[in-house]
Amino acid sequence: MSVKNMHRRGRTRREFLGETAKVAAAGALAGGFPHIARGSEGIRTIGLAVSIINEIQGKASEDLGFAVRGQALGYGAMVGKMLNQNDQYEVAEGYFNDMDVMIPSKVWQPIDTQRIPEWEKVSDLTKTGRLTPESNPGQGDAPFRHLWLDEDGNRVEGPSRYISMLPGWHNADSLGYNPEETGRPIESWAELFSDDFAGQVALLNAPQIGVMDAALAVEGLGIFQFKDKGNMTREEIDFLIDFLIEKKQAGHFRAFWETFGQSVNLMVNGEVVLESMWSPAVTAIKAEGVPCVYAFPKEGMRGWHGGCAISAKATGKTLDQAYEYINWWLEGWGGAFVARQGYYMSVPENVRKHLEPEEWDFWYEGKPAAKELPDPYGTIIVEEGEVRDGGSYWDRFRNIAVWNSLMDENNYLVERWTEFLNA
Amino acid sequence: MANHAIPQHPGLVGAVPARGFPWRGGDDRPGEAASGRDGPAAAGARAVRRAPGGHPGWLIAPATLWLFVFLLVPLASILVFSFFTSTGFGMAPEPTIKNYVDYFEVEGFFDPEARKFLTPSVFLSTLGTTFRFALTVMVLCLLVGYPIAYFLALQVQAFKWQLALFLLCMVPFWTSYLIRAVAWLPMLGRRGLLNRALVELGIVEKPVSFLLYSEFGYTMALVQLYVVLCIGPIFFSLAKIDRQVLEAARDMGANAFQIFREIILPLSLPGVAIGMIFIFVMLMGEFASAVVVYGGKISTVGTVILNYYTFANYPFAAVNALMLMIAMMIGVVIILRVVDIRKQL
Amino acid sequence: MSVKPRKSAEARRRTLVKSGFGIYFAIFLIFIYGPMFAMFILSFQGKRGGTSFPMRGVSLYWWEKLIQPSTVGDLKGALVRSVILALIVMVFTALFSTMLGMAFRRPFRGSGALFYTIMAGLMVPGVLLSLGLATLLKQVGIPPNWWSTALGVHVVWTLPFGFLVMMAVFNRFDASLEEAARDMGAGEWTVFREVTLPLILPGIVAAGLFGFTLSYDEFARTTLLAGEFNTLPLDINASMTQRIRPTLFALGTASTLFSLLMIGLFLLVYTIIYRRTQ
Repeated sequence: MSVKNMHRRGRTRREFLGETAKVAAAGALAGGFPHIARGSEGIRTIGLAVSIINEIQGKASEDLGFAVRGQALGYGAMVGKMLNQNDQYEVAEGYFNDMDVMIPSKVWQPIDTQRIPEWEKVSDLTKTGRLTPESNPGQGDAPFRHLWLDEDGNRVEGPSRYISMLPGWHNADSLGYNPEETGRPIESWAELFSDDFAGQVALLNAPQIGVMDAALAVEGLGIFQFKDKGNMTREEIDFLIDFLIEKKQAGHFRAFWETFGQSVNLMVNGEVVLESMWSPAVTAIKAEGVPCVYAFPKEGMRGWHGGCAISAKATGKTLDQAYEYINWWLEGWGGAFVARQGYYMSVPENVRKHLEPEEWDFWYEGKPAAKELPDPYGTIIVEEGEVRDGGSYWDRFRNIAVWNSLMDENNYLVERWTEFLNA
Repeated sequence: MANHAIPQHPGLVGAVPARGFPWRGGDDRPGEAASGRDGPAAAGARAVRRAPGGHPGWLIAPATLWLFVFLLVPLASILVFSFFTSTGFGMAPEPTIKNYVDYFEVEGFFDPEARKFLTPSVFLSTLGTTFRFALTVMVLCLLVGYPIAYFLALQVQAFKWQLALFLLCMVPFWTSYLIRAVAWLPMLGRRGLLNRALVELGIVEKPVSFLLYSEFGYTMALVQLYVVLCIGPIFFSLAKIDRQVLEAARDMGANAFQIFREIILPLSLPGVAIGMIFIFVMLMGEFASAVVVYGGKISTVGTVILNYYTFANYPFAAVNALMLMIAMMIGVVIILRVVDIRKQL
Repeated sequence: MSVKPRKSAEARRRTLVKSGFGIYFAIFLIFIYGPMFAMFILSFQGKRGGTSFPMRGVSLYWWEKLIQPSTVGDLKGALVRSVILALIVMVFTALFSTMLGMAFRRPFRGSGALFYTIMAGLMVPGVLLSLGLATLLKQVGIPPNWWSTALGVHVVWTLPFGFLVMMAVFNRFDASLEEAARDMGAGEWTVFREVTLPLILPGIVAAGLFGFTLSYDEFARTTLLAGEFNTLPLDINASMTQRIRPTLFALGTASTLFSLLMIGLFLLVYTIIYRRTQ
């Protein structure tokens, strides 16, 4: 029913209310009786609130002529559902760093690039790992390492006809800081452990990712060099965690955040001055009137990449519709929508068609905003003359230090991370 | 009341011998055990002596069936999972005890030179920390909540107001748990209400930071989140106390403390025990507010389970879950032992 | 020695004790309502403000947002589903707790096993219960749904609470009234309806309230068992991946105010009925 509600635009309020009541009743019925829900047209897609947004699936339903019902979940719930209940969705809007789990489990079917008309337009970032020829592909679960499959869904090297997931939205994360409080620009991950900010620092509390931010900082300090930050050995994990425990016991960390909202609150509430952060959080913090800068560290950023996968259980008509929906993502409307939240899309040239020139210049080119710019819902979030931190899209992705990853030693990592939190 | 057990005749009508289950009703009247069973001998007695409610069979059947489908069967599968082999992307049905070994094993445990000499495994110590914390907060909830229940049950006279004030205590509990946890931030934060009050009253010069993301703030939030759970049962057990008994005791010259110790406290113990069980199990399973209010600076067993669950190591998550259940069970049994339920209930 | 002065001293002491408790109760209310109060104020946060102080203007913006369709998830639909689910769970919890409470008034074969089975529902970690059941359901080919499978595990979770409340109720339960009714020839059902039920009604209500509250709030058990429609906690959890907005506080305030209203209504109805019976 959420999706159908979105069709209301342009109607009178009365119509809308009547419609809402009808839709609500229909929704309650559909939710109440599974055979009706199953028999109804359309497909189901699940993912994080990054891409499962009523406006997006609503617009897709409108454009495609069948219902695309989105279910947004928290991260853990999402992975659990993707892995265990692939009969409960047709499209999974997942992330490349989960591929070590998703590909061998075969819960998704290989996507045939011959059914993706715009495939050629998808940038090289996910195909070769190099957005521009001189880019550094970065360590860890870079999308190109998990993209290519054979017909049976086994990973293969290099270009092939089948892919695991149609590349979509992505970004590079780094540190966010309050320049008034730090008193100096932050240009290195090493600042995360600077004594100047003791007690006013927060780290991401997901062992797989938090440990990488810490590794980048340790390397920045020059006290340790990891062979592969995206896949550490036990010894490397031990060194890093021991270091972190020392810091924690010295009271260096104010908090560890788990959700986007928490990271925003920490900075807005003045609890921290420097923390690992996701790019749209900076926009959110500034929107609340608190100065915040997104650091562009010299060591490079930590990248992540999402996209659309298709459940192995999708067949026949729903499979066709699933393809229609993921192809819809490449047309650019969805990419333009997420661009206004600070995310990038794998088909920049198509996104450009749906952005105003000023928006394109600001979000992708990294130029000063020629005018006030809105977020996807029309609220002004960028003042005239503002510049996006981290430069242009191509600058940002030229130097990805490491991608969000799932390490071979993940179990050991979680164990040591638990020890760290309890130290 | 409960202990005038009259000898029964288990053989007579095929009734179960009255094994003294700790929760057995205090209204355990003679002949009850023999009633409701087939047998002509009981038929005559049944008319007068049958326990209310009829045959326990149909009373327990629906719930038992429900628990079988939605609890025992999944629980059995959790047990089975714990012996499966983790594949990195799920589990394979190859039996192994590796998960249990991993849970307990500590490298260098027996090596006096090693850093981990005689230290329990991370998982065990997490369980220990969670247990200790649950106990602390449980006791705090009792200390805070008992007087409230006492006030409601014995100081407030009109039933209407008793219920109204009790419900007033319940209201915060009806708001989503996650929202309530988040609502502590604007209370305790550096720019929160409490800090502002402290600064404006001149108690501190600068906002203090120990209120939030600290053990202090965490404990306080947990007490607020869970205290209602013990007020309810204690209130119920206190409300049943016959006030004439208290009057009589007073007339016989007992002072307030004596009345409390001799009459009120013992009578309220079942409620206390039940409230403690509620709070204890909730706290043992706690994971969300540790993140929100303690800033994730502590890892609970719940967090550990979630961390392994998220990345599909279901067998190890299952082992952690089972160990948590055992710890909870031990806690509950201890509570039931401390309050001699056989006498009380 | 006259009795009078002693009595008035006693009365004074009692008043003192009572007001002492009254003050403590007031402090307690401030304690548990403190965060609610912060939440209440912040729900009127200005359009550009967040979920923390300072207030950046005063507005009804977030309350309006609450009424409008949400951008992520489906707050209203989820709320409706959660309330319906909680009501069903409430009924089952109250019913099962009462039946079990009655059954446990006397010993029966297997009562020990049943007692600990009920208690196990309290202890089994939710995510794994959800996983275990979801895996089995997939084998059998039954799709999960919030009104079926989620209902199942919710009752497993709420039943021990209701059950223990009923245990407390039946503890020291005076059975002589039932006995008397039976002596007068009343049938079992009549005895239950006319004698037992009125006595244990507060307990049944409490068991049901536990059922409602715990189900309305349940997250972990629901993760894999809600099917394709989110319940409110799942929806809130999903929205945490985005910015936490004061809309959440508006929702919290609204539900608090709604509860308070219900209590007020209850008091009113109670008073009217009480007057009539007088």
